[in-house]
Amino acid sequence: MTLPAIVNTARTLSYYSTLQDITANNLANASSDGYKADLVTAHLTAGEQYPEVFQSINLTQADLRDTGRPLDVGLQGSGFTVVQTPDGERLTRGGSFALNQAGMLVDGQGNAVLGVAGPMVMPNARKITIDPDGTVTADGTVVGKLKLENVADPSTLRKEGNGQFSVTGGASTPAAPADAMVHQGTIEGSNVSALLGSVDMIMIQRAYAASVDALKAMDGVLDTISGEIGRV
Amino acid sequence: MDPGLRTSASGMIAQQKMVDVIANNLANVNTTGFKRSRASFEDVLYETVQGPHTAGGDNIVGPMQIGHGVRLAAVNRIDGQGGPQVTNRPLDLAINGEGYFQVQMPDGSTAYTRDGSFTLSATGQLVTNDGNALVPNIVIPPDSTAITIGPDGTVSVTGGKTAQTVEVGKIELARFANSTGLINLGGNLFGETIASGDATVGQPEVDGFGSLLQGNLESSNVEVVQEMTDMIAAQRAYEINSRAISASEDMAKSINDLVQ
Repeated sequence: MTLPAIVNTARTLSYYSTLQDITANNLANASSDGYKADLVTAHLTAGEQYPEVFQSINLTQADLRDTGRPLDVGLQGSGFTVVQTPDGERLTRGGSFALNQAGMLVDGQGNAVLGVAGPMVMPNARKITIDPDGTVTADGTVVGKLKLENVADPSTLRKEGNGQFSVTGGASTPAAPADAMVHQGTIEGSNVSALLGSVDMIMIQRAYAASVDALKAMDGVLDTISGEIGRV
Repeated sequence: MDPGLRTSASGMIAQQKMVDVIANNLANVNTTGFKRSRASFEDVLYETVQGPHTAGGDNIVGPMQIGHGVRLAAVNRIDGQGGPQVTNRPLDLAINGEGYFQVQMPDGSTAYTRDGSFTLSATGQLVTNDGNALVPNIVIPPDSTAITIGPDGTVSVTGGKTAQTVEVGKIELARFANSTGLINLGGNLFGETIASGDATVGQPEVDGFGSLLQGNLESSNVEVVQEMTDMIAAQRAYEINSRAISASEDMAKSINDLVQ
């Protein structure tokens, strides 16, 4: 029957257009600090008539780039640093931190970067060092240890923009040392591959064009049925 | 309108800003005391197009979120030390370590600089190349034959009839709780802001302040190789975003062609 096939093809077109939007967003964030690419796949699950769309976040490590800025904190491993936003604690891997006028360690939006024992304040600090385990030392005095968290089930992560993730329907747990190694003076780049992105776009464009052609063919069939066979 | 187009446009705008920052770094590769900047970007809001639901029995399908591009989050100045450049000019000073020279602006406010190429005014006062006086004021007597500035900021002159060495003043430096919060005023000058905190004034070599190097200037901390590779990366990212725009446009066109 042609009509369900048209509906199916329309769903396919909508899928590829969503895929294109997501690929475009990944590519737009090819230079965003600590950005993790979105992945979209479609599967036909048992008992369903149409493929279901699954989205996940590609959490693979991106390159750590040297910036030489003492408050740039790149993470190696699967963990996150934690910031206190007005909406609660959020996880991030964009580690371009700063001190505010009170000497508190904050992120780019002014949210406090949390240590294990809360926000870390170091007024008039001159030399700040951050050890691989996250221990923050200002002028030889330990002022705290970066709170590093890990998420057991990555599907509970939701992106909130500004490089932040929230954990919905799950919980984050303190990261094991092997899961999060802190590199001071570096920034993690974006894990978007421009090359794979362009390959994806070609694939999307071709698949979209093929579906449009299929739609045209079915339209032709319907036209024949209604225009010629239907005529007595 | 197709949201993908705006997303890709924001990507192109971001890369353009990146190139702007890199271009300014490269333009100042030979500027005394210049500190390079780095643009940092982050993703913007996400639209949840489909909530979590179950499919085929126990399979839970997570929500689907589409992001809408990128924005410039910050341009951070990187205050790394620039190398000393030997000039052998007695009034050229480089700060090795932390601190800024204080400069009296024409409007009475104080500005801060790492550019230590000073000259003398008509009255013998130590001034910047733009004629703004160093704070605290240091006046060199007109009959001086030699000026010595020590690492601790002590300014001594030799001259007069007796040719004796006399101390005429001491250069002080300023420091900030958050020096990256200083605002660029142009002319190698920085201004205090609410983010930088108030200036703490002290003497060179004391309490964590850097020392002074006479006959040297601090060169720019821009590294050409790094800026060039960043520029290539920005250019490629710009191209790929423009290709994403043509792909979205091409898809919209093919669907529009369906209706005749």
